Amino acid sequence: MAGIDTGGGHGKRPTNHEIPLIPFIDFLLCLVAFLLVTAVWSQMARINADARVPGPPQPDEPKDPPKEKQLHVEMKGETKFQLVWKEGTTVVNTIDIEKKPVPAGEGGDIRYPDLAKKIVDEWTANGSHRAASDVKLDQAVLHTDNSTPFSDVIAVIDAIYTPKRDLTWSGKTEKVPAFNVTFSVN
Amino acid sequence: MADKPLSRFHQPIQIPGRRLLHHIHLRFVRNKVLGHGARAVNAEIPLIPFIDFLLCIVLFLLASFSATGELPIDKSIKLPNAENVIDMTEAPMVAITGTQILVDGNPAGSTRVIEEANRLQRVEELFNILKNKRELWKQLNPAKEFPGVIVLQVDRKVQALVVKSVFQTSAYAGYPNVSFMVGRLGK
Repeated sequence: MAGIDTGGGHGKRPTNHEIPLIPFIDFLLCLVAFLLVTAVWSQMARINADARVPGPPQPDEPKDPPKEKQLHVEMKGETKFQLVWKEGTTVVNTIDIEKKPVPAGEGGDIRYPDLAKKIVDEWTANGSHRAASDVKLDQAVLHTDNSTPFSDVIAVIDAIYTPKRDLTWSGKTEKVPAFNVTFSVN
Repeated sequence: MADKPLSRFHQPIQIPGRRLLHHIHLRFVRNKVLGHGARAVNAEIPLIPFIDFLLCIVLFLLASFSATGELPIDKSIKLPNAENVIDMTEAPMVAITGTQILVDGNPAGSTRVIEEANRLQRVEELFNILKNKRELWKQLNPAKEFPGVIVLQVDRKVQALVVKSVFQTSAYAGYPNVSFMVGRLGK
């Protein structure tokens, strides 16, 4: 057992003390049990949508930058998605993809793997910001019907975030989504 | 060793062996104190490293302890799940249930008004609350740049029109960096 020995002990009162370790361990175990029971094990995460189009302001950005290609994802159709590459108002390319929802998880969530794969292919072929040193992201604009349920919107945003690229920031390189998603307000 | 003569001639001087404690009558005690006993059956539990270990656990759990729960989610909200997600961040929470819009648990508008109007619109109550929050943050942190991050907890059945209206209102109120809270879906 642990004790405190002061080397004395000739006086009336004893100067050596034993620390009661067993109650101390019991107390610590109770504390551990309480903290484990009340701990919050969060499975929550977030998916980003930035209203700053075309991305956060850059200090060295020219005042009148050239118009960049944007990927417009149209999910208003009943049976298909439409991917439209636009430069300003000029349509560069249009691709139709059949809507094939795939159930995912137990909560009734759906995924669109075909849409995700096509978006990866499209970004690989047409993405403007691919260098790791380029802090800007390609812009994707999501067009939804007013009555579309939010879970469908998240499934499409999830598909848009599938393509990843390297981004070097403050000397560290990490994988980030290739697109920045925002909503169309029309 | 002590009984063995050093040579074939008897020598009165012998190598000294153990002499202390030989007089103890109890054989098992004598064996024990002289070092001839078997392995000890009583083992000492190393309590000090055990206490150190417990203290480390306690400190870790205390550091990550939250009395209120880290992410308060309205019970009426069923969040969707997604695969390509990022970790949560600390930011004002706007919850959108089937009928209400709440900022950090306080009412900040109704979804029915937006649905009945059937057009994208700014939610005035939400706008004012968020604008006040932003101004308060700037007063408290005058030297820092305002991050403009907001987290939306949206029920999976809420219409996109309501989500877009809240999204736009948040951006107008100075929170353009909007995140949607989702569950983490395994890949």
